Amino acid sequence: MHLDPFELHRPESVDETLELARRYAGSFDYLAGGTDLLPNYKMHLNLRPHLIALEDVGELRGHSLDRIGAMTRLADLERDPEFLRSYPAIAEAVREVATPLVRASGTLGGNLFLETRCFFFNQSYFWRQSLGFCMKADGDQCHVVPQKEKCYATFSGDLAPALMVLDAEAEIRGPGGARRVPIGELYDGAGDGIRRTRLAPGELLVAVHLPASARRRRSTYRKLRVRPSFDFPELGVAAAGRWEGDRLEELSLAAGGLETYPRRFDALTSPLLGAPLTDTKIEEVASKLRGLVRPVHNTFLAPDYRKKMAGVFTRRALAGIRPGATA
Amino acid sequence: MSDPTRLRLTLNGHPLDVVCPPERILLDLLREDLNLTGTKRGCDLGTCGCCTVLVDRRPVLSCLTLALLAGGREVTTIEGVTPASGLSPLQKAFVDLGATQCGFCTPGFIMTAGALLRENPHPSRGEIASAVAGNLCRCTGYSKILDAIEAASRVA
Ligand SMILES: Cc1cc2nc3c(=O)[nH]c(=O)nc-3n(C[C@H](O)[C@H](O)[C@H](O)COP(=O)(O)OP(=O)(O)OC[C@H]3O[C@@H](n4cnc5c(N)ncnc54)[C@H](O)[C@@H]3O)c2cc1C
Ligand code: SF4
Ligand code: FES
Ligand code: FES
Repeated sequence: MHLDPFELHRPESVDETLELARRYAGSFDYLAGGTDLLPNYKMHLNLRPHLIALEDVGELRGHSLDRIGAMTRLADLERDPEFLRSYPAIAEAVREVATPLVRASGTLGGNLFLETRCFFFNQSYFWRQSLGFCMKADGDQCHVVPQKEKCYATFSGDLAPALMVLDAEAEIRGPGGARRVPIGELYDGAGDGIRRTRLAPGELLVAVHLPASARRRRSTYRKLRVRPSFDFPELGVAAAGRWEGDRLEELSLAAGGLETYPRRFDALTSPLLGAPLTDTKIEEVASKLRGLVRPVHNTFLAPDYRKKMAGVFTRRALAGIRPGATA
Repeated sequence: MSDPTRLRLTLNGHPLDVVCPPERILLDLLREDLNLTGTKRGCDLGTCGCCTVLVDRRPVLSCLTLALLAGGREVTTIEGVTPASGLSPLQKAFVDLGATQCGFCTPGFIMTAGALLRENPHPSRGEIASAVAGNLCRCTGYSKILDAIEAASRVA
């Protein structure tokens, strides 16, 4: 498959990148590792005439325990034993993204902003044309939930839930200067499902910051997928907690792969603080979470099954971070 | 300013200097412009690993790489790791142990496994299996491929 022609820009600094983003507002995509964007371009999904490659922007590279540059390759995180030990949830999530060959090129920034997925969207132009295009690309209908306002494509990034439970923050730069927001706020839960993030036009993710408190938490990420060494998540649950003795001091829970945006469930976890996390409480949270999530039929596994498994994976994740848990 | 469509890189140890449009994918440049057809096109979407080449010694999917972004780097294809006459020890192990049947996936496996063995000359079977997890084979059932990589690691 050949790509349609586009103009390629190769800025070498964040300032230069933002200047290009301003000049080509509305008609460009950033290109990081390309492992999400290029397959979509090959399928003629929402092509733009300009690509701004972030490859040569040095400020976006490099990582430490506190800060991960947006252009950090997933493979580079995977090769850093201290980083992996410090953040078990991120370690488990990174190792389960795609395959080692995809992780060699795929970046953190691209993982947080990857295009949402749907059985009716991730198809060739010919395939989509024969059925009738959908709202997310070239059309005005939805084949999953017939109506004309909202797209229900699934957010399928593995790192977002793991970063969300560790209270990570995104460092964003744009025409209005720099700002920092919790990872969860990158995603617009009330949006139309087509625009994926709350980044303003021309904004760029520069890095993700991890607070020192994240290193004091026990954390895990549990992913359901069809082929264990390849597939996008059918769901992913992350949990992180800190204990004093057997008393829970902090707890957070997030899930991705189930809806259009990853989300955190603070209302379920905050009532649990100050007491031990018993099996009964875990069951309660798992069944409430299962009742809250609304998967639709646009991935490989049936929504009812994913909902049921969301409960099971929540139970496993919470049990997995209790002091003394082995798996 | 230098011509942004001028691509200079080192290909299998030799300098390459060509004009390349921005939308040219590395796999297409290799196969269609340079006639290096050892690198295979399987899925063209990042799922099969048939198109694996080395960029600065690390395995990369050439079907998801813009050729221009490989500029200045060292690109190695299956042609570049095959001795002028005969086969490398890794390739020989694939042949001897029946790790290649139709052969379509083999170049990709050789590139990924070769990079693994350079970095970790004596990997465990589990490490081998994880390293080649992004390469698909429709024929062998994988056991023989793992056998061959293991055997090659003992020769090295
Ligand atoms: C076979 C296969 C399997 C996969 N399986 C998984 C999986 O299991 N889990 C998973 O999470 N992903 C999976 N992916 C998707 C993808 O490979 C990863 O999410 C990867 O991390 C994306 O990073 P990238 O750098 O390649 O993104 P790109 O394709 O370069 O970019 C993705 C999007 O992010 C935007 N973007 C990138 N960087 C920035 C930035 N700094 N600021 C603003 N916007 C930015 C781009 O404009 C683009 O829209 C898979 C891909 C393939 C091909
Ligand atoms: S959920 Fe509907 S609108 Fe969105 S990608 Fe799927 S078919 Fe298209
Ligand atoms: S052809 Fe590149 S991964 Fe299949
Ligand atoms: S030998 Fe035929 S695909 Fe592997």
